[in-house]
Amino acid sequence: MPSICVPAAAVHGSRNFHFSIYGKKKNAQVSNDISTQYPVVDHEFDAVVVGAGGAGLRAAFGLSEAGFNTACITKLFPTRSHTVAAQGGINAALGNMEEDDWRWHFYDTVKGSDWLGDQDAIHYMTEQAPAAVVELENFGMPFSRTEDGKIYQRAFGGQSLKYGKGGQAHRCCCVADRTGHSLLHTLYGRSLRYDTSYFVEYFALDLLMENGECKGVIALCMEDGSIHRFRAQNTVIATGGYGRTFFSCTSAHTSTGDGNAMVTRAGLPCQDLEFVQFHPTGIYGAGCLITEGCRGEGGILINSEGERFMERYAPNAKDLASRDVVSRSMTIEIREGRGVGPDKDHVYLQLHHLPPQQLATRLPGISETAMIFAGVDVTKEPIPVLPTVHYNMGGVPTNYKGQVITYTDGADKVVPGLYACGEAACASVHGANRLGANSLLDLVVFGRACALTIAEEHKPGEKLSPLKPTAGEESVANLDKLRFANGSLRTSEVRLNMQKTMQAHAAVFRTGSVLKEGCDKMDAIYQTMDDLKTFDRGIVWNTDLVETLELQNLMLNAVQTIHSAEQRKESRGAHAREDFKDRVDEFDYSKPLQGQEKKPFDQHWRKHTMSYVDPKTGKVTLEYRPVIDHSLDEQDCARVPPAIRSY
Amino acid sequence: MSLLRFSASVSRRLLWKSAAGESVSTGCSRAASGAVSDKEPLKKAKTPQGRFDLPEEKSKDVLEKFPDDVNPVTKEKGGPRGPEPTRYGDWERKGRCVDF
Repeated sequence: MPSICVPAAAVHGSRNFHFSIYGKKKNAQVSNDISTQYPVVDHEFDAVVVGAGGAGLRAAFGLSEAGFNTACITKLFPTRSHTVAAQGGINAALGNMEEDDWRWHFYDTVKGSDWLGDQDAIHYMTEQAPAAVVELENFGMPFSRTEDGKIYQRAFGGQSLKYGKGGQAHRCCCVADRTGHSLLHTLYGRSLRYDTSYFVEYFALDLLMENGECKGVIALCMEDGSIHRFRAQNTVIATGGYGRTFFSCTSAHTSTGDGNAMVTRAGLPCQDLEFVQFHPTGIYGAGCLITEGCRGEGGILINSEGERFMERYAPNAKDLASRDVVSRSMTIEIREGRGVGPDKDHVYLQLHHLPPQQLATRLPGISETAMIFAGVDVTKEPIPVLPTVHYNMGGVPTNYKGQVITYTDGADKVVPGLYACGEAACASVHGANRLGANSLLDLVVFGRACALTIAEEHKPGEKLSPLKPTAGEESVANLDKLRFANGSLRTSEVRLNMQKTMQAHAAVFRTGSVLKEGCDKMDAIYQTMDDLKTFDRGIVWNTDLVETLELQNLMLNAVQTIHSAEQRKESRGAHAREDFKDRVDEFDYSKPLQGQEKKPFDQHWRKHTMSYVDPKTGKVTLEYRPVIDHSLDEQDCARVPPAIRSY
Repeated sequence: MSLLRFSASVSRRLLWKSAAGESVSTGCSRAASGAVSDKEPLKKAKTPQGRFDLPEEKSKDVLEKFPDDVNPVTKEKGGPRGPEPTRYGDWERKGRCVDF
């Protein structure tokens, strides 16, 4: 039976109100401990999962399956999470197309991460990959098949056989062209089999922390404006990435890094936020990516003067140069004032010089895409494009089991009661650069890992540790302050300022002066957050308020990203700097190691960035943590020593 | 509670009476126009006349489905429609690149 709550709007203005809860949530209690203005409902569960995308759903029903009384809090309906947009496949060394070994997949992933990935987590993920894919297939996910009925695997970038020496590997399993959609629906359908309590359209505000332990989550019910405190022994964060800090991104409007921000406000660090993956040609405004095949088929990039500028940056390869060269060239053109459009902030991708028949046969559907997303007729006009964000490698630091860690006194320390998985977490399997088809794998493996770790360490029905009755007060106070904010800047204006600054200063083209300027601008924009003005004073479905809360979360992510990028003086993976073009490791791996002296920890950059923010001032503090170089079992799977990364 | 039940039953009886009255009148009208209704098929009362009786125009999708859903070149069953998405090194569909 659905719960029917008395709308708080009906009791606005009165001090003593009566708030009843009907329906299934029998043990929810109304409390007056933290607020007499807002109805606060207390719930008790064994485990709470924040976020219902691929990782969140897998963790939620993994826990329910193990017998835990689980709540899944999500601000979107589960099947609307951004996982649904991942059309490609999942990597797993099943060996259906040719002989394969997960240790080769391990090697490929370690190399792809530019040796910033923690090898024990990568070992765990690649070893569990075949079992995870078979499990999904047993849940009913309709993978495409070979003639013999085995799962069909196709070749995808960065995957090789025999530790890079055996040619291209075929490891990517897919479901037609909607793998993410199918994964999400399979997991959601499977989760309904268990008794997980879903709290849909509840916006998680903060973690309830006491003495460095996580004891639950406080959330706002968007439907009726009530505040809910979920007390649980175990909290899992699976809130996804934070693409929306940049002006051009492929992510949904809801990818606002809520989990990272909650962890930051709790005083815990975030890891490697400066590593953000860009794609050179994303449609201006819409954020959809245009395939590299357009350039492969003869498309050219032109600037405001109609010049094919790639000839200057890559005289031989021209428009077919590697992605980072193309992205950087585009950004330099825009910076030097040769961008197009009213704001001169993007360039054009021209395809109309190609015969329309060729376009239709080689790239079917592109005219439809260009018309829908860019509003241009691809046979007559060029498509506006600019470098676009599509993945965040960084996030909440965890160990290979999914437990959130901090780095104090030279060692990793587990934060009791807190776990993280998915794009929100940084395990770190992707390191400095994520390989394609590894992200969906990351979701299911670590979602399951969190559930297994919790099942190992705790039992269902455990008594909850005591929590201060006033826990969550600050979150409610912040909510109230934003609801009645009466400054001078709208949320949308501040957000646009932040996005444009990040796109101009912390995007593909990173140099010391540009980053420093960006850091100063971002610090100034952070201060303008005190001057916000909201318009909707209601409490029922107040999207102005929720967008402002999301903006607070985005700002915390953005300042950490740009400050971490400014401090990291090297180029590694997705973080490429013009002034420090090389990787700075403890040894120079381009020369033989014999006779080289190992650089001390503070003089090389093969380490994770751990960033803290003081939410009141916006000041970012950075610390560093060493990369885990040993695998889980050296006998079974030897570690991969660092080398120069070249494909 | 009993009062409610009583009033509900009273209102139900009233409804029955009015429904019966209506059916009698429509029955009369149908009998009168019997000759016309034999030639035309009876249109569903709720939908705009005939709109849903025409065959729906199938929208042409640029990416055609393979016969039996089996890709003739790679023999993949249930795979992506149209040309191989990974042919340019990324996952391409309808000109869009998908990141995953």
